Amino acid sequence: MALIPESVRQQLEDRFHTVLSGPVRLTLYTRPGSSRLILPAGLGCPTCEDARQMAELLRDAAPEKITLDVVDVSRDAARAEIDEITDVPTIAVASGSDIGRIRFQGLPTGTEFPALIDAVERASRVEHGLSLESVEALAKLTEPTELLVFATPT
Amino acid sequence: MALASPQIKAVCVEANEFPHYSNQFRVRGVPHTVINRKASFVGALPEHDFVAAVLEGAGIAVEEPHEAPSGPSTEISA
Repeated sequence: MALIPESVRQQLEDRFHTVLSGPVRLTLYTRPGSSRLILPAGLGCPTCEDARQMAELLRDAAPEKITLDVVDVSRDAARAEIDEITDVPTIAVASGSDIGRIRFQGLPTGTEFPALIDAVERASRVEHGLSLESVEALAKLTEPTELLVFATPT
Repeated sequence: MALASPQIKAVCVEANEFPHYSNQFRVRGVPHTVINRKASFVGALPEHDFVAAVLEGAGIAVEEPHEAPSGPSTEISA
């Protein structure tokens, strides 16, 4: 059974057609072939296959704007280290040539799915939506700053 | 916020899928935001307060918060 119903695919396609403007680069960090295995914690990846389907859904909804790069962390550990990927699946959303600094670690279903769509749209439009005051305040950051936002699908 | 500052990397973590992270950062409710793996806050803050929390978590002094709006008072004026 498809992870995403056909009606949602069509809605997404229609929406992206009108909302997206610039290119978006998605990178899926995954460990293929481990979704059916029961492995010690941290080794398996029960949601990697679903994450692949979701990332492909996004790309296929606007292939002229969205590109998808799939990185198998078990084969390309060096890339995972450079990109500071510690867990899979992770979907990184990047605007143009920027590195993917918006990331979704784990399968973004439920309430996280709209957040993923929003991230793609904002990256495409390079539209952060913050006030000038906030942007000026954030300009005080001179060192890399990591935000981990824990969420649940419900 | 990651689009507004090249210094920020924002990672949305599915709390149920990574219990070791959730335990490490003592996640008891969501959304739970951790800044540089040190400071944290729970809940969805207004933009101004969210930005202030991020700066504070990154070790940058922030201005005093806006003065609270004056509400009804229980004082009885003469």
